[in-house]
Amino acid sequence: MSIIKPKSWPLAIKLSLTITAVVTVVGFMIGTVMHWQNWNRFHEVLGEKAILLSESIAITSPTAMIRKDFWSLYQSLKNMSSRKDGHSTHEIINAMILDAEGKVQAHLNPAKNPMGLLFTPTTDTEEVLFNQAMNARVPMVLSSGGYSSRGFLEGVVPLFSDQKYLGVVRVRLSVAQLYERAWYSAFIVISLTFCFVIIGSVLGTLISRRMVNPLTAVTLGLEAVGRGEMTDFAPIPVKQQDEIGRLSATFNQIMSELAEKKMLEEEMAMSEKLVALGRITAGVAHEVNNPLAGLLNCIDTLRKHPDDKELIDRYLPVIDQGLHRIKEIVHNLLVGLKIEEGDERVSIDHIDKLHDLMIAEIGDRDIDIVWDNSADKNLQIPGKLEQITCNLLKNAFEILTENGTITFRMYQREIYLIIEVSDNGPGIPSSIKNQLFDPFFTTKPNGTGLGLWIVYRLVHNMEGVIEVRSEIDQGTTFYVAVPVISKKAA
Amino acid sequence: MKTVCLILLLFFFVPAYGDDIRSPVRFGLTAVVVTENLRFLDQWSEYLSEKMGRKVEFVLRRSYQEVMDLLDSGNLEFAWICGYPFVQSREPETIQLLSVPEYRGKPLYHSYIIVPQNSPVKNLSELEGKVFAFSDPDSNSGFLYPLSLMTAQDKKPESFFRQTFFTFNHAETVQAVSEQFADGGAVDSYIWEYLAIVKPEITEKTRIINTSPSFGFPPIVSRVGVNSTTMQQMKSILENMDDDIAGKALLAQLKLDGFGQYSDSLYSGIKVMVNKVQKVDFNLNGLPSH
Repeated sequence: MSIIKPKSWPLAIKLSLTITAVVTVVGFMIGTVMHWQNWNRFHEVLGEKAILLSESIAITSPTAMIRKDFWSLYQSLKNMSSRKDGHSTHEIINAMILDAEGKVQAHLNPAKNPMGLLFTPTTDTEEVLFNQAMNARVPMVLSSGGYSSRGFLEGVVPLFSDQKYLGVVRVRLSVAQLYERAWYSAFIVISLTFCFVIIGSVLGTLISRRMVNPLTAVTLGLEAVGRGEMTDFAPIPVKQQDEIGRLSATFNQIMSELAEKKMLEEEMAMSEKLVALGRITAGVAHEVNNPLAGLLNCIDTLRKHPDDKELIDRYLPVIDQGLHRIKEIVHNLLVGLKIEEGDERVSIDHIDKLHDLMIAEIGDRDIDIVWDNSADKNLQIPGKLEQITCNLLKNAFEILTENGTITFRMYQREIYLIIEVSDNGPGIPSSIKNQLFDPFFTTKPNGTGLGLWIVYRLVHNMEGVIEVRSEIDQGTTFYVAVPVISKKAA
Repeated sequence: MKTVCLILLLFFFVPAYGDDIRSPVRFGLTAVVVTENLRFLDQWSEYLSEKMGRKVEFVLRRSYQEVMDLLDSGNLEFAWICGYPFVQSREPETIQLLSVPEYRGKPLYHSYIIVPQNSPVKNLSELEGKVFAFSDPDSNSGFLYPLSLMTAQDKKPESFFRQTFFTFNHAETVQAVSEQFADGGAVDSYIWEYLAIVKPEITEKTRIINTSPSFGFPPIVSRVGVNSTTMQQMKSILENMDDDIAGKALLAQLKLDGFGQYSDSLYSGIKVMVNKVQKVDFNLNGLPSH
């Protein structure tokens, strides 16, 4: 697993990360919406508070203004600014009462805003707000605009007496508290989101592991199937009846059936081995017993006529021939049964030497041999390939009569060395094709029936493949493919 | 005979006016004394009640005029008023001098003309075109004295100052000047000095640019018609407060030495000033209409 390749991460991690990411995104989205709503609500409440404070001043202001009771006006502003409103405090950063001409009637900062003089805005923003306030004929909230903790909201309430416009009350509240509340709200939202993310991650990890565990077990089971280990597989616990539960149950059933099948196959293989052993034993008994009967008769006859030279000359070659046949049978059996031994590699030249041997074997017979070896001359091949080739060539030679042609081809395909031995003989009937490689099966009068059996066993021992293609009166071709280069080296 | 007996019974049971010992003695207070400390007023009323053997109630009103109206209407027995309303002529006379507080050994006080500490103003003339705070239209030190100064210079407050207003409280006049709501103000020297002790952070922001000549200290008066026993009792209690520990403690809180008996002539200076000012017609903004 590579950290920089998320595609190779385990499903459990990807699932839990996905759940965490979804919880995080959803949490932050909800948090942002809540925070935005809170901000708007705080803003609205602060504006309403500014209006309320202005209105509380505006209740008594008209009478005091008419009576020129400036001290009462100033006192009302002072009392308002020093009042604590329960748990929530409002920071009044400015408050003033102006007459219809804009002259200061009372101001919380009288030193800079002398009573009886025109209110003088100090900045362009103040000028705009002053004009808006002086033109206000209904209560309204003015804002400093922008997003700054030094900003403010201003409650503006016009003053009337008997429908005559007297002036305006302006109460300015700092938005610093708004920011303080917003930060607090943001802190709560972020903390809650963080908690949700942690809880979501833990739950996500648990849920994904719970979901993925059966899949992991299925994967391990399939890997075991690949290795051929099916019998010691522990069934996956099925806790849910959902898709994964059904998959687990189906997989358990498949594994159970596969294990049963493998056991049956093993039993069958054992049975086949026993059958083959029986066949070999019967063959050996039959093949050895046949000459033995003749030999025993000859020996018995010679024992009865020990001085009959004619009989001796006649029976000794028969005994010799019979014993050699038994020796040949035993030798071939030993070769066939001990093929596992020896793994020496030889030069490919050894194969070409068989060409000369076959020419000598053919002698004067009217049989042609076509030899084509296109394999790499430096290739080292298993020594047993020499015996495989020899047996196949002899098999072809023995089946041919006159005007026969044996074709030998050898070439490489990837890691395999391919050997083709063809003859234009009578072909193999399909009825006996399945018995071709059985021990002691032969169609030749003097054959032992062990040549192709040995070839078959040698090829399988080398993890190779053997195939036969044959047509009646057309000929037969044996294909042998044996790996000669290791897969790693390839 | 029955009728004579009934008349005699009625005669014995109908109490004399203002002499009902079951009703509390009502004592009016004005801005001549700092009345913010209600706990002190409770202690003082308890002290007087105990000495009198009757409940004594302090009655607080915003202006001098309101207290004078209560006196005139018989709703107060005693009051601590200013020398200015005391000297104003009434027909028939409704009040009489009971006792005079003694401050720093004398029954005298002054009027202070004050400006903010950082103000460049050095005298009253420099306050022209500025905002001026008067204490009460019936106050000697907080209104009559500055008015007399203006009259002496042949100037009218309404044209001399840009704006004027009344605070109806000497302490609040000091506050208005200290917070620069007003560029100047006229206050009772006793109140300013009292504040200089209990709230120096306020008086430190003000500066005295003019001190008036001595005037008779705001007197304690009794309503004409109050039972002479009650009147003598109250007079005796007040003038003997410095004889007992509780009384001394209360006087200490009032920053007074005691109360003494003085004649009406103590206020002749104020009376002269009233006569001078009354000859001048003036009309000030914010003069309350009662």
